[in-house]
Amino acid sequence: MADATIDKKINDKFLRRALKNFATAYPVARAKAFEGIDFEALRGRIAQNKCAGLKELPELIVRFTASATAAGAKVHLCRTPEDANRTILEIIKGKGADFLVKSKSMTSEETELNHYLEENGIRCLETDLGEWIIQLAGEKPSHMVMPAIHKNKEEVAELFSKATGSDCPPDIPFLVQKARETLRSGFLEGQVGMSGANVAMADSGAMAIVTNEGNGRLVTTLPKTHIALIGVEKIVPTLAEALDVIEVLPKNATGQKITSYVSFIKGPTAGDGRELHIVLLDNGRVKLAADPNFGQALQCVKCGACANVCPIYEIVGGHVFGHIYVGGIGLVLTPFFHGMENAEEILKLCIGCRKCNEVCAAKIDIEGLIVDLRDRIKKPFGQKFLFATMLKNRKLFHTALRTAYLAQKPLQGEGGRIRHLPLMFDSAAAGKSLPPIAEKPYRDLVPAESRRPKGEGKGEKVLFYSGCLADFVYPELCRDTQESLEKLGYAVSFPQKQSCCGIPARYSGEMDIARDMARINIDVLLEEEADYVVTICPTCTMSISHDFPKLLAAEPEYLEKARRLAAKTLNYSELVARKMGSGLRAQGSGGTVTYHDACHMRRGCGVKEEPRKVLAELVGAEIREMADCDKCCGFGGSYSLKYPEISREVLQNKIANIKESGAPTVAVDCPGCRLQIEGGLEASGERINVEHTASLVAKSLK
Amino acid sequence: MVNKFIQSAEAVGATIKHFSGLDEAGPYLASLANGGTVTTSSLPPQLATLCSGMASGSAAPADATLCVSRAEAGIAATGSLLIDLKSAEERGATALAPIHAVFLDPATIVPDIYSLGERIQQLLSAGDQAYFSLTTGPSRTADIERVLTIGVHGAKELHILIMEGV
Repeated sequence: MADATIDKKINDKFLRRALKNFATAYPVARAKAFEGIDFEALRGRIAQNKCAGLKELPELIVRFTASATAAGAKVHLCRTPEDANRTILEIIKGKGADFLVKSKSMTSEETELNHYLEENGIRCLETDLGEWIIQLAGEKPSHMVMPAIHKNKEEVAELFSKATGSDCPPDIPFLVQKARETLRSGFLEGQVGMSGANVAMADSGAMAIVTNEGNGRLVTTLPKTHIALIGVEKIVPTLAEALDVIEVLPKNATGQKITSYVSFIKGPTAGDGRELHIVLLDNGRVKLAADPNFGQALQCVKCGACANVCPIYEIVGGHVFGHIYVGGIGLVLTPFFHGMENAEEILKLCIGCRKCNEVCAAKIDIEGLIVDLRDRIKKPFGQKFLFATMLKNRKLFHTALRTAYLAQKPLQGEGGRIRHLPLMFDSAAAGKSLPPIAEKPYRDLVPAESRRPKGEGKGEKVLFYSGCLADFVYPELCRDTQESLEKLGYAVSFPQKQSCCGIPARYSGEMDIARDMARINIDVLLEEEADYVVTICPTCTMSISHDFPKLLAAEPEYLEKARRLAAKTLNYSELVARKMGSGLRAQGSGGTVTYHDACHMRRGCGVKEEPRKVLAELVGAEIREMADCDKCCGFGGSYSLKYPEISREVLQNKIANIKESGAPTVAVDCPGCRLQIEGGLEASGERINVEHTASLVAKSLK
Repeated sequence: MVNKFIQSAEAVGATIKHFSGLDEAGPYLASLANGGTVTTSSLPPQLATLCSGMASGSAAPADATLCVSRAEAGIAATGSLLIDLKSAEERGATALAPIHAVFLDPATIVPDIYSLGERIQQLLSAGDQAYFSLTTGPSRTADIERVLTIGVHGAKELHILIMEGV
């Protein structure tokens, strides 16, 4: 992605305000729409049914085709976008028509239908207000459900003035009325009408269209010929599965309980020469549906919720964060629908916070698929060698960082923090100061006696896996961890041969290196008998518990070991929370803290209550929740170096919420979040401390 | 359940009226039509008669002021109306008129969309073709700056006339 494009979006004040307002309003509206509804059960059903349907997609297509044909529709199965466009052109020409009136169809955006038809002398009119706006502007949708969210009313007024030849003021009700009047003649004169469909049913051959404006019914009613362009993955077996899609779609898309119109259409109704043509688009879907790794991407119901909650989308919008399909799922679908060449850059834009996974209506592991797809991206020259050399040799890794740090010693300011980097790296420090690399990593400071396993009968045995960042930058945090665990009665050992968990390699698409790191760490961490492996970095925990078994799925021997290791690996707060309720309580008051949920803690490991419990009971802290406590801080490991401008903007949102909480301390369970947040607070002159829960516990136990 | 329906429908901008009989409903419809053309869709005979008396204007359906329909059922959770729209002409009428008035028998209100499943299945299986909609509130958009604006292409006003046995 060209930096200039990203910068342009970051500096687009209207876009930023529009997306921020939406990001704030959406979760509230969504929660209200789902009141009294078990979202997890609903999406569980959708995921299960969609998954089962995709396994028999070719049969579903056959059944739908037979039912729809029996209802009087003509069904055209098209393998490629070109096939679909040509078929549609032929239908229109066959009617002697030259004017197509359309309601919203993302699938026609996928095939770039308008462009093709216009080239062939057919006029196309988009009647969905948002689609009409972007048609007039000659742009692509920047959101699947709200295509013109990036346009302000002044721009719309200008477009409408030009289109209608009359002066339109930037007044929204006026503009909407103007659209009603102007487009009305299109509905009445359009010779052929076109719609998409949100779901199609194989047993009846019917489709359902979910709309708000009422244009869907007009284009499927007034022209005598109706063409419906439908991606084959929209076919479900029966009404039962379709109702779930209709139930979830508006709630997850815009926070509406239901849209103004949900229309069911089966066959060409009324016999006055009406025709219904159903153009089914494959475009790689049948092949993708059969793909064991990426097939689940087609479970998508196109609600756009993954964009609605994405902290990166909130900063740059859909013209950067997507191709034609935008948001998290857009990143996943683009390589399959529009080729890897259109996906390479956008796949790198995901920060990996997994917020999309939490709201996905079809329970797709969107973030996981994005990361897995990076395996297929062309890698920068030398990246593999660099990862292989550095990650596998932690000592060398530290030395290299330390050397780099010493070379920049003149850059250190008061308190040893780095506030500016030399020219080429300076954007990495933008908006935050950076902590120095520690003189000695924790591995060189570990008390000698604890290098040997502690004796039997000294309580449960814990292997401490520190993670690189804590080891190299926050050795005192490692010490706090070890000491506090020992005070809580655990025998703690720090395996010297532990290495990087491999996440930087995995996130950069170097899956072979990630696999090597998984094997290395599995061997190290299983070598010594222990009850638990404890980390202070949830990214490491997630990597060990979730990624290792996935990476080694094809190696039975290592898979068994990976599962054994996963079963005993915990975050610090999870382990310490187990000691709660046994009368152990903080002696004094731990003051007021606000808690930032690390993405990989909350969504990577599913841990939410434990750190709060530890802070309340063992630290004696009063927890004052900040707004969006579980929203990403913008760190994302190497992401903050790759996209410093985006990272900085995401950080600013977090800093604002922290300040607003009024708490003097932010507690986190991740050294990466700590680095990012304390850097941001320091740079903005805030006197707010950032502490890892382990350090707060250690202080409280002193 | 009726109260829940009313609450949901009002939340999305529908106007709710209660009538005990057609003699009460008639004048209300006449006031909505305000002398303009009245179109109808899927009406039982007694309602069709009532409306034909009002269809004074002779303008094309596209210029009608009011369209009168009767719902097959209502959904309490969302304030939605199930309206059969199999006739293309009548369907166009409901979609074009700026005011849409829909009669609803309170006995047909069900809790949620799933409780309508059987009825929807019947409609889908009844003949070779089918077209029906769940209509909820007036036509709306938030496509410009996400500002909710009522009445884009469909009805600007949705009146739900609750009447037993209609």
